[in-house]
Amino acid sequence: MGIEMLALLLGAAMLVALALGLWVSLALSAVAILGIVIATNVPVGTVMATTIWGKLNSWELTALPMFIWMGEILFRSRLSQDMFAGLAPWMRGLPGRLLHVNILGCTIFAAVSGSSAATTATIGRMALPELSKRGYDPRIAIGTLAGSGTLGLLIPPSIILIVYGAATEQSIARLFIAGVLPGIMLAVLFMGFTAIWAIMNRSRMPEADPPIPLMERLAATRRLLPVILLIVAVIGSIYAGLASPTEAAAVGVFCALILSWLSGTLTKESFTQALLGATRTSCMIAFILAGAAFLTVAMGYTRFPRELASWIGVMELSPYLLLAALTLFFVVLGCFLDGISIVVLTTSIILPMVQAAGIDPIWFGIFLVLVVEMSQITPPVGFNLFVIQGMTGRNIFQVALYALPFFCLLVLGTVLLVLFPEIALWLPETMLSNR
Amino acid sequence: MRVLLNQLYRLSSAAAAICLCVIAGLVLVQVFGRIVDGTLRALGLPIAGITVPSLNEIAGFLFVAATFLALAATLRQADHIRVSMLIRAVPLGARRVLEGLVLTIGTMLAAYASWHAVFLVIDSIQFNSVSFGVLAIPLWIPQSALAIGLIVFAIALADELVDVVFGDGVPTYQTHEEAKSDIIQRPVITPEEAERGSS
Repeated sequence: MGIEMLALLLGAAMLVALALGLWVSLALSAVAILGIVIATNVPVGTVMATTIWGKLNSWELTALPMFIWMGEILFRSRLSQDMFAGLAPWMRGLPGRLLHVNILGCTIFAAVSGSSAATTATIGRMALPELSKRGYDPRIAIGTLAGSGTLGLLIPPSIILIVYGAATEQSIARLFIAGVLPGIMLAVLFMGFTAIWAIMNRSRMPEADPPIPLMERLAATRRLLPVILLIVAVIGSIYAGLASPTEAAAVGVFCALILSWLSGTLTKESFTQALLGATRTSCMIAFILAGAAFLTVAMGYTRFPRELASWIGVMELSPYLLLAALTLFFVVLGCFLDGISIVVLTTSIILPMVQAAGIDPIWFGIFLVLVVEMSQITPPVGFNLFVIQGMTGRNIFQVALYALPFFCLLVLGTVLLVLFPEIALWLPETMLSNR
Repeated sequence: MRVLLNQLYRLSSAAAAICLCVIAGLVLVQVFGRIVDGTLRALGLPIAGITVPSLNEIAGFLFVAATFLALAATLRQADHIRVSMLIRAVPLGARRVLEGLVLTIGTMLAAYASWHAVFLVIDSIQFNSVSFGVLAIPLWIPQSALAIGLIVFAIALADELVDVVFGDGVPTYQTHEEAKSDIIQRPVITPEEAERGSS
């Protein structure tokens, strides 16, 4: 069978398997088996068992369950309730006022949870009613939420970057650090836009509240502050080379337990629930990674990624054009797949091509996450849009329209990242230790 | 039978959770040891040398065990992700057929994987494979966890399949799957409230 035929066949098989509702991890393995059986006569089962064992049995990946566990513990403490109360007093003075709570709340929560749908749902359920009660224009309230909800994917410790690092054998520590500046850049872009919008649309903003004295502000934030410190410490210790991601995460779990004990939310029940929740989420992601690793090996047998890479080489496509094409491709994929599935599904095929074009794999990871973020808020289907549609009862195109300025800011952010790769690559280069 | 199976899934996921606790514990001991040594060195005292031998390998093994032993519970709680757009859109009869189909494929895949995971274990026993680290752990021990986890997963899938084909046609994970999207999609502000806010 010709390689084009095979690629088409496998692509079709993947689409059918996913559309039927086969679990993503199993769909990846099924297509891998199909590919190996058709393209070669190597013993499929042995390849499968040794690949899965070899790939998952890794110290770097151990960071995954630890970070998820840390998030689960914090999630079950009073974090989400404290978020609005803790952030709101500080935002009153900024143009755009409490709208910034959406953005900063999402940024902080994203660092903890690593999932954009969970970030959007949690912050939205708390902030939207408050904003609506105080008379903020729901259009901008929904827009800021939809946009900043996507930050969950990029801000470290980011689950999706661990997945990318494991799937492409890049340093997870470097990926984390590379995500810091782009994440901050996006938050600043979002806040800047909101501030400018608020200045230009004074009539659509509610009356200003009187400012709150500093001591009261601090009092309101006292429960939020330890969480912020914890995140800064986790990322800082990785940056300073004091700890590997796994070590930082285990210490994070320990500190999260202490924080929830101090806030009185640590019970036997909440501990068990957090632990079991983390066990299952980590299992889900690791099993997808296992399927993806197997698919990558299978793809290697079919020689398809190499052919594609050399074809791109022959075409002498400029990297910019390649990136533009990939962006479009990922945004379309994001219409029906979640971010993690997109990353594992595509890295096995696309990474050789990207490296052949001379693109840094660390940089590409950040780029990929940014594009996946975009795909979460593009109609007709995007995960964050669905979440917000469910919460507000507004239809998905309306929500997408409110989110459009933030989609454009994400595009702007991506363009900046392409033009100035240092935004992602500068910090990792200054890391004290290259673990 | 029902009770026995549920017990099996619960036991398996509890073992997975314990693996995570052990990872966290061991890593913390290692970090603590490093901090103690650093402090002692700074004070000019002899170091205590608390380390966990072969920690990197042990943690990797425990991670594999945790992942695979949790497979069945993850399935039943609908935490394995899939695209459920089609399955939720079609009428009930067609839905049952679709669920039956994906469960059949799933059971076959899991059984196939279990089969070869068992071979992996047998190979490791025959060739006496051990890990590279200081401790030289026999590889069949962590690999058995992988095989057992996959077998329990295959059983859980077959269990659901039997339920869908011969039982009430509703897999266990369905209620969880729907509850999950309902939690996310529970309205917090009604459109009227939102309108009032905008005027």
